[in-house]
Amino acid sequence: MQPRRPPPPAPGPPRPAAPLLALPLLLLAVQGAAAPAGPEAAEWRPDTGPPHGLLRQAARAALHFLNFRAGSPSALRVLAAVQEGRARINAKKECTVDLVFTTERYNSEEGEESLGKCSARVFFRNRKPRPAVNVTCARLMEKTKRQQEDYRLYKQMKQLRNPLDGVSIPDSHGHIDPSLRPVWELAFLGSSYVMWEKTTRFLHYYMAQLSGVKQWETNDGAIDFDYTVLLHEFSTQEIIPCRIHLVWSPGKPLTVKYHCQELLAPEDASGTEEGSAVAPTELSNF
Amino acid sequence: MCLLPVGQGPGARGGQFRGIARRPLSRESLKGPRSLSQPLLAFLTGDSMQRLLILSVLLGAVLGKEDFVGHQVLRISVADEAQVQKVKELEDLEHLQLDFWRGPAQPGSPIDVRVPFPSIQAVKIFLEAHGIEYTIMIEDVQSLLDEEQEQMLAFQARASSTDNFNYATYHSLEEIYDFIDLLVAENPKLVSKLQIGSSYEGRPLYVLKFSTGGKNRPAIWIDTGIHSREWVTQASGVWFAKKIVQDCGQDPAITAVLDSLDIFLEIVTNPDGFAYTHSTNRLWRKTRSRTSGSLCVGADPNRNWDAGFGLAGASSSPCSETYHGKSANSEVEVKSIVDFVKDHGNIKAFISIHSYSQLLLYPYGYKKAAVADQKELDEVAKSAVAALTSLYGTKFQYGSIYTTIYQASGSSIDWAYNQGIKYSFSFELRDTGRNGFLLPASQIIPTAEETWLALQTILEYTLNHPY
Repeated sequence: MQPRRPPPPAPGPPRPAAPLLALPLLLLAVQGAAAPAGPEAAEWRPDTGPPHGLLRQAARAALHFLNFRAGSPSALRVLAAVQEGRARINAKKECTVDLVFTTERYNSEEGEESLGKCSARVFFRNRKPRPAVNVTCARLMEKTKRQQEDYRLYKQMKQLRNPLDGVSIPDSHGHIDPSLRPVWELAFLGSSYVMWEKTTRFLHYYMAQLSGVKQWETNDGAIDFDYTVLLHEFSTQEIIPCRIHLVWSPGKPLTVKYHCQELLAPEDASGTEEGSAVAPTELSNF
Repeated sequence: MCLLPVGQGPGARGGQFRGIARRPLSRESLKGPRSLSQPLLAFLTGDSMQRLLILSVLLGAVLGKEDFVGHQVLRISVADEAQVQKVKELEDLEHLQLDFWRGPAQPGSPIDVRVPFPSIQAVKIFLEAHGIEYTIMIEDVQSLLDEEQEQMLAFQARASSTDNFNYATYHSLEEIYDFIDLLVAENPKLVSKLQIGSSYEGRPLYVLKFSTGGKNRPAIWIDTGIHSREWVTQASGVWFAKKIVQDCGQDPAITAVLDSLDIFLEIVTNPDGFAYTHSTNRLWRKTRSRTSGSLCVGADPNRNWDAGFGLAGASSSPCSETYHGKSANSEVEVKSIVDFVKDHGNIKAFISIHSYSQLLLYPYGYKKAAVADQKELDEVAKSAVAALTSLYGTKFQYGSIYTTIYQASGSSIDWAYNQGIKYSFSFELRDTGRNGFLLPASQIIPTAEETWLALQTILEYTLNHPY
């Protein structure tokens, strides 16, 4: 029996929710925060093309954003390969990257080879985080299969018993107990939002390990849980702990609140970061 | 010349060396309710002819090899009292050497008996002739025992040889240091252990030397685990050590390398950090040195080398994961290698192994400018990566540190290159972020195997391109 969540402390100012776009049957088109309007004084990159690192950076940002917006822990994608791309930098050192890349399922089984192709435009505001993302992907999974998998994961989460907070996922040897696999996948979904928000032109993230997992009972049957994720930050090599609160139901929008600790304040960080998001617009209160 | 290891035949176990050495049996798991006291009892009560028979049989048992190959355990179902008596008759036939685990009692009670291989035919014919039903519970007692032994050894804290060491799991510092000692003991003519210094917290810094002789031959340096959280690298280092020993005298390429070159391998380059990843923080990267005036511990040993030290690409803050340390070579773990390499004076290739990202890198990291040997290093990297990918399809990128990942100052291979060690490379092993540092143990051996192909390419190239 999960405990009931204690009442939250006084909330901070809410962040504006990103606009919802209609979801066509075959394609998933998602648009992020405001991109610059109109032609700016563009400085074209020399013909040698953008450094491969920049294209990968853009692909990662696009994927984090896509994963969060899709809101499906069984349809998470990771980068397979960048196929083509170009970039331009303007006078303000803001960088627009257009690229095409392939993806594969994050939770792919052995031998499963499905490469969903994506095209994206990513806008980095110099060193500032939260790049604007406009991404379109070919569907990777059949809709009914995805829904079934999500529902199965949902049931597994509901069956988990606390206490989980002493457990590290994965353990030191990289092992995740099969019963805890759903926790990891949902956590990856929630962390995608955080990683998107923190990504800049020069910094990117991977999930290293989870701990402090606590699941709460809900009135409406949603999955409601807290966890601490350790994010591995490139290129600083820092390990950033973030406390994340996630609420999810299959087929319903995902809500994420988080608080990251910046242990060391590098040149551009503000110390601690808070954020919250509600994926497309259902009025939800959590 | 590569010589054979002490006490073993050639090519004992190729490939994965996960093989388990056969050990003398314990009879404990075999003892049924009746033991060999039975024949003794008969001996004391039987006549002289019988005694002679029993004695010869007993002697045979004592002097012969103690194994249970082909022995079977039968479960006999007796239908009535007559059948019970028949089985008792069997019991009395000493020369059959039957070992009843569950003796004949009454109809309905199963009778379990271990039958040695030479007696199996006779026993079965006897039972069948008298219409007594039986089933075979254990087809081959020896295989069952072997399986059990294997399982026990898998759980054993201490491997007794490098052949029953578990390469497919992560080990503690103590286990790795034990492994090193075992490897040296098993291959004293090829392998020796050198201590090049002590860590900040006083742990020995051990380097394995693989050499078939000569005096200060040109050599190759390989280090793993300089960043302690990169566990697949120390684990791969252990595998490489065993692989070198296996291949010496078996594989023509490595045999040729070792005919002319020596190999130095430091498996746990940062033992303080490694111990800390086991005891306290699995994601610790740096050394454990204390900096006066700061609460933060450790410096990044791969920003501490004297190549562009302190320039952009490292941090001056002690709390940072890329803190370069208070001065070049301030970290004793780094200084010990520097001193060793300089004293040796004949190192021809220098390879540092990290994880993760799947990259093969050459200098420079501290500046954008290409090294003079860029074209050649790029070619070598290209063929090394091709060799690696050929095994499991694992994709690697390659190039200079600066252009492939980011600017990084004070790195080991930049220093090595500037010392005149032309073939200086750095690896970033599996994976690309899915598991990161916490790579599942099941991937250790595949990672080591594919990386070895790349290393071998570099070793061979170094052999064939002396300078």
